Amino acid sequence: MNLDHHESFQRMIDQSLAGVISREKEQSLREHLSTCASCKEYLRASNRVIAGLNGFSFEVNPTLNSRVLAALRLQMQQDRAARPNRLRFLRPYTVSLKVWAALAAALSMSIVGSALLYKMATYLMVPVHFDNAQVEAGVLVFWLLPSLCAAFCLLAAPVERRGIA
Amino acid sequence: MFDHELTSGAPLESDTQRIALGLRQRDAAVLETLVERYQCRLVRYLVSLFGRRYGVDDLVQETWLRVLERGGSYDGHYRFEPWLFRVARNIALDTMRKRPMLSLDSREGDGVPLSTASGEGSPYTLAARTQDAERLADAMQTLEPVYREALVLRFQEDLSLQEISLIVGAPVSTVASRIYRGLATLRPQLEGETA
Repeated sequence: MNLDHHESFQRMIDQSLAGVISREKEQSLREHLSTCASCKEYLRASNRVIAGLNGFSFEVNPTLNSRVLAALRLQMQQDRAARPNRLRFLRPYTVSLKVWAALAAALSMSIVGSALLYKMATYLMVPVHFDNAQVEAGVLVFWLLPSLCAAFCLLAAPVERRGIA
Repeated sequence: MFDHELTSGAPLESDTQRIALGLRQRDAAVLETLVERYQCRLVRYLVSLFGRRYGVDDLVQETWLRVLERGGSYDGHYRFEPWLFRVARNIALDTMRKRPMLSLDSREGDGVPLSTASGEGSPYTLAARTQDAERLADAMQTLEPVYREALVLRFQEDLSLQEISLIVGAPVSTVASRIYRGLATLRPQLEGETA
């Protein structure tokens, strides 16, 4: 066997140790290792290096954990203190409160707007020869229902797309 | 045949989800557990980056504060270790940028090791607990940081190449060749010796 042949198997050993070898290559490597002393020695030395790496044990400064935990607690306290106190208890509900407030505003505007529109339409119905039923239907179909639909769409939209959160 | 096999080592997803939830809620108990569980590994990883022990404790503390600050960005869909080491690496690189004489990626191939603080012994000599580790200590100290980092993440932290790739921000092929070169540098220290 020539040198290149061994080098290719040694490259396979490296790949195997790194965890990037295919099953076929690993099978062929196993077969080669059963007959090749130099590649077996290469594998043995590599495994000893890996075992050697695991022979390093770094002692952690005994006060480090308590120091880190104290720093974390202090940071959390500072973060809490930095938040405004106003309405803190309401924060989890802020988004839904905003949505309900927007809905209430939209409903009010729909109803008040409809009343104003109806009032204006009653003045205009004489010159255009409309009767009361036509004006009421027009306000209902073209103003009140669309505005109510728009208001309730606020609730139907996903939270992240409501645009007011 | 192979002493070191690739092990899945992946914790249950529920464990990572619990960590993610705890970090999102800034749960002090979860943070305390994480500090206890990962402190040693974090120290070991940062020593591998710097090649020295001096200053590592400050970086560890800085890392955990960053975990508290950015914990919400960990989604629990993969293991916690790669995310933690990535945070630690970013902080280490920031520190190195503030001290331009020290760098990590830019030194690949120039063969110049990072120096230890004056008067400080090699952390690897001090940490060697076996004969083979003692033989490797000097070579580890002089090994270029990117190779040392790849070896530590693969063989000590038992991370996959994909996970290491995420941490170091390099392609898997680059990570693999760093591992090959790191092993090739260390192997002569033990070749010919009887175990």
